[in-house]
Amino acid sequence: MRVSEEIEAAKPSRGFWSDAWQRYRRRPIGMLALGFVLFLTIVAIFAPAIAGTKPVVCSYKGTLYFPCLGYFNRSWESPIFTKDKFRGTYPKNLKQKDPESWAVWPLVFQDPYRRVRENEWPGRRENPSRDEGHPNRWNLFGTDQYGVDIFAKMVHGTTIALLVGFVSMGLAGSIGVLVGALGGYFGGWVDMITSRLTEIVMCIPTLVLILALIAVVEKPTIWKTMAIIGATGWTGIARLTRAEFLRLRQTEFVMAARATGAGSLRIMFRHILPNALAPVLVPITFGIASAILVEGSLSFLGFGPPPPTASWGSVLNSARSNLQLWWLVVFPGAGIFLTVLAYNLVGEGLQEATDPRLREAKK
Amino acid sequence: MITYLLRRILLGLVTLVVITLMVYGLARSMPGNPLTVQLGESDPSRKLNPEDQQRMLEIYGLDKPWPVGYVQWISKVIQGDLGRSITRKQPVTQLIGERIGPTVLISGTALFLTWFLAIPLGLYASARGGRIDERFTGLVLYALYSFPTFVAALFLQIIFAVWLRDTHWELPLFGMSDLSSDAPFFARCRDVAWHAILPITCQTYVVLAYNSRFIKANLEEVVRQDFIRTARAKGAGPWRVLVHHAFRNTLIPLVTLLGLSLPALVGGSVIIEQIFTWPGMGRLFFESIRERDYPTIMGLTLMFSVLTLAGQLLADLLYSIVDPRVNVE
Repeated sequence: MRVSEEIEAAKPSRGFWSDAWQRYRRRPIGMLALGFVLFLTIVAIFAPAIAGTKPVVCSYKGTLYFPCLGYFNRSWESPIFTKDKFRGTYPKNLKQKDPESWAVWPLVFQDPYRRVRENEWPGRRENPSRDEGHPNRWNLFGTDQYGVDIFAKMVHGTTIALLVGFVSMGLAGSIGVLVGALGGYFGGWVDMITSRLTEIVMCIPTLVLILALIAVVEKPTIWKTMAIIGATGWTGIARLTRAEFLRLRQTEFVMAARATGAGSLRIMFRHILPNALAPVLVPITFGIASAILVEGSLSFLGFGPPPPTASWGSVLNSARSNLQLWWLVVFPGAGIFLTVLAYNLVGEGLQEATDPRLREAKK
Repeated sequence: MITYLLRRILLGLVTLVVITLMVYGLARSMPGNPLTVQLGESDPSRKLNPEDQQRMLEIYGLDKPWPVGYVQWISKVIQGDLGRSITRKQPVTQLIGERIGPTVLISGTALFLTWFLAIPLGLYASARGGRIDERFTGLVLYALYSFPTFVAALFLQIIFAVWLRDTHWELPLFGMSDLSSDAPFFARCRDVAWHAILPITCQTYVVLAYNSRFIKANLEEVVRQDFIRTARAKGAGPWRVLVHHAFRNTLIPLVTLLGLSLPALVGGSVIIEQIFTWPGMGRLFFESIRERDYPTIMGLTLMFSVLTLAGQLLADLLYSIVDPRVNVE
């Protein structure tokens, strides 16, 4: 045996996940979708640096500040700017109050929450309002009836769209896995209770349940909306997890684990769950897509987070009464559609890469 | 068979009680009550003074804590009385009766269209699996499946009601009818049909995309089995194998899907009815939540859950008809 062959033989065989990744990589559409999700993530993280009216970095009276962080959280914007009466308009005030100052500006000088006024940026005209806001040089995606830039809203809405997907499905996934694992592992009366619970939640129409919950929660915020979407979307995951646990608890490796004296919790989450994860991950990915859809439809119905939050659905909502402003429909509509499509395609790819039955079929 | 049915029905009744209890508690915990929400919004000067309000609450039985209210509600339901809507001053059953027709007009047509188109599409997709034309239709269907209905509805409204205004292709933006009730019958039918085209399109396309993919996936699974090879070996033609041998064996999941779509048939879609201001059940549900109209919320919840449970039971019973090997007991 040659040395290279010996090394080849000594290498551990590929694990399940790296095997799945190899399979996933072969699908160009799946990779494209994954690339799009990554692109959205980058846009979401750097949103204030892409579109905004607050400098990314500025030197003011000898100190460095990052006012753009104020878009993520009000309190991250240094209080000195409130004290010096900037009132949100930076370009002029910076030069007036400290001629020595310098600043790095976002790529597009537009604000997702307010109309940009005339000469706010030297030589720039005021944002058009009402029905005159066709997409133009300064407003790439047009403006809404109040003169707020749609491109800026879209960029900042990306953060919300992605957060909705991850936070609500994180919650739904945890509840679903927990409920399903308990029912599937213990069986008997525990299974009876968890299965009934799942059935009850499934029987109530989701959108109605969500609307009622939103009405109960006074002062909805985007976080509460996410929590509600998550708290109502776990039933499918619970059923799947339960089925996987029912199947796996009878296998030899679980018996072996029990024989070595492992406790129930350890068996459930250290031994069974990793083996049940792949089939459960697929509905979670599809769930992210549907969570984004649900948030969009809630904002569209006017039940979403209150106005200052820039979400894609709320732009669509403002288009409902202004159908002539087609750009209020096309851009956010395309945003929601492409994001949902991308997550669905990732889910599909994941399913084909991890499901052994589908793998057999391809041979 | 009888014992099985009895057990399922008893279990279903318990589920129903828990569901209605939950929804009633939820509805009563929503801030405000039917009186404050309704009057306060329309005209602040018409707000009731506290004594009147207290008196009205007593009339409607809303002055007691909600578990008491729930017991009162359910004991009336057992006697076959769903109560009266507080904000609409109408029996709930009558209200549902008025709204159910328009909803079934939309969802029934949509349901028929989806199955009528989805089965041939699914068969076509698996017959020509992997060819260039199939991959193209597959991609289009997949894209349609991810296309949000509310965006599609807005697009259709822009195209047919704004861009094509004053042409032959113009379609009405919303509502169900423009004509008064004394117009000739056929003119009114045509008018309603005209109004229904856009909502039906919206409700059809998503389900169609989903169902045809579902049919295709099931067919692909069956086609791999041994008896299909046998059928091919004995000389059955490709279409006969597909329709006669393969498709008949995919009926079980299809029947489940059909059973699960029963509540949506009567329940309608909140979003589509809201966009097109279609006077159906989904819109009624939406409005009753906003108006805190507890009897209507509860009546609709009860109907939805009964239909969901009935759909599940029906699907289970149909199994044994579709596939004699399945024994419900």
